[in-house]
Amino acid sequence: MDLFLQTLLNGLLIGGVIATFTIAFQLTFGVLHVIDFAVGGWVVLGGYLGYYMAAGLGVDGFLAIPAAFFLFGAIGYLIGPILYNVRNSRTARPELMALALTFGLFTLLRGGMLTAWGFNTRNVPTALSGESLALGPVTVPMIRVAAAVFAIVIAGGLFLFLYRTRYGLAIRATAENRQNAALMGVNIRRLSANVYGLYAGITAMAGVLMGAVYSVNPEIGLRYTLFAFFVAVLAGLGSVGGALVAALLLGVIEAYVSTYVGSSYSLLAIFATLFLVLLISPKGILRRGL
Amino acid sequence: MTTQPVKSRLPGLLLLAAVLVLLALMPLMVNNYWLRIATGALMWAGLACSWNILGGYAGYINFGHSAFFGLGAYVTAFLMNDPFGLPFLVTVPAGMLVTAVFAVIIGAPTLRLRGAYFAIATWAFAEVLIQFASAMDFTGGIGGIGLPPYLNERFFYFAMLGAAALTYLLTWLLFERSRFGLKVKALRDHEPAAEAMGINTALVKLQTFVLSAVTASVFGAIFAYWVTFINPKSVFGGDITDQMVVMVLLGGLGSLWGPAIGGVALFVVNRLMWMYWGDTAFYIALLGAAIVLVVLFLPNGIAGLFSGRRSNALEKAAGKLVGRVDEGERP
Repeated sequence: MDLFLQTLLNGLLIGGVIATFTIAFQLTFGVLHVIDFAVGGWVVLGGYLGYYMAAGLGVDGFLAIPAAFFLFGAIGYLIGPILYNVRNSRTARPELMALALTFGLFTLLRGGMLTAWGFNTRNVPTALSGESLALGPVTVPMIRVAAAVFAIVIAGGLFLFLYRTRYGLAIRATAENRQNAALMGVNIRRLSANVYGLYAGITAMAGVLMGAVYSVNPEIGLRYTLFAFFVAVLAGLGSVGGALVAALLLGVIEAYVSTYVGSSYSLLAIFATLFLVLLISPKGILRRGL
Repeated sequence: MTTQPVKSRLPGLLLLAAVLVLLALMPLMVNNYWLRIATGALMWAGLACSWNILGGYAGYINFGHSAFFGLGAYVTAFLMNDPFGLPFLVTVPAGMLVTAVFAVIIGAPTLRLRGAYFAIATWAFAEVLIQFASAMDFTGGIGGIGLPPYLNERFFYFAMLGAAALTYLLTWLLFERSRFGLKVKALRDHEPAAEAMGINTALVKLQTFVLSAVTASVFGAIFAYWVTFINPKSVFGGDITDQMVVMVLLGGLGSLWGPAIGGVALFVVNRLMWMYWGDTAFYIALLGAAIVLVVLFLPNGIAGLFSGRRSNALEKAAGKLVGRVDEGERP
């Protein structure tokens, strides 16, 4: 029973971290109508930034979180307009081309990281690494709790921004209906760039947390892309609220399969769930997808 | 059906005949080393065509095409080994059958949805097959599985040549010269409109997907027998799909000869890099950069450069029209 509770808690904590970048991923799909294959690449890059800041500058890994947001936010802000142009170009199949573009970007990031840093895995060292927290019968690593707290702060900030500011209203309006938002005076092009920047920044922050809880290597990016896709399918593409629920569910499924069946089967279980959802309820379990 | 003047087709036919004669005489002209490279180039040209069947003609991007390549390879490896010991000519159709079954299982639910869901499902499917093949005993686990060696370079060259030629012939007949091809292109360009014209889009898409998967499995089977040893990464790996996607995009999405041009060009670059550099990680980065650059600056690929102004203008006009209809249609 203790193991059961401990696994549940571990899953929920990791699910919280996954939720941060999958929410942003859904938001990007809602605004740009682009499935971003590169999501795993941003996660891994964030983790590497954390590692190099800690190893090179000797600062605590958690200090890399704001740095990751600003650095990758800026990079995303520069990539956003390119993606927007391809998605809205007058070529025969813009949706396909945009998908291919992010796929190329992901491959480029993966190959570049492999060339630069090799296949070694890196862990982001923090002051809390190695400590643990006892909650009644269960013990969880302190770093997971801290990561989940950071995730709640990031996700909470994002929701406040989306639901309590004028610009957040513009983003939600664009996701809901692009034409009408444009008629209301929203500059879709600039907003798309901002949203992609926001998304890349948040994803990189989640990457620092993931790098602190587990570790990162260039090949692990695929796994996080699969996580984002899983959440997108479960929640329905573009559904922001559903992403939170689906991400927590993903964390729990992964934790239970890893604990009770074996970690090499976790992707298999995730895919089986994904396939069942596609079969039974293609617009996501909450039926809110696009 | 098309009213192209016969005159304009003659140079193309002569070129095709010359290429075929050259390919048939290749084993007499080059040594075994270059014959292996030619065999590989044929395989990739065929695989690119196989990906293009769905990606180019039907407009559904498959990011897990290596799954079918690997299924063909693993079925052949499994059936040729000890408890069965079946001949190669039996294992190839068996691999095609298994692949077709998997393609229907994956395709039937996902092809009904938007293309993005399909891309996700296929990609996840290939990743899962890697995990599955690594975890199971009968596939040899992560160490892989060996096949009875058959050291006859000419056999494999002609096997690849035959498979590639058949793939291209089939593609030409089905997608350039038949009603089926028109249906597929119609649903690619505007699915609701195609459905309104009475096309059973779900069925046509599934047929196209199965065809695309089955052709890939044939190359997988020949590949496994040729290299005599496979492991999960070497036949299911994402890099295989990456290569196919780049080859098709580079050559020209949805054109018949584009994949052949892109496939041969990229494979030769790959071999040259490997010979003089011996680096594989940087090649992945180059692949990614190639995809990005082609999407941004050469959306019609190399084949698009030769297709002339008229078809380009037509394509643009069609794109504009589709764009307009889509804008009116979105909620």
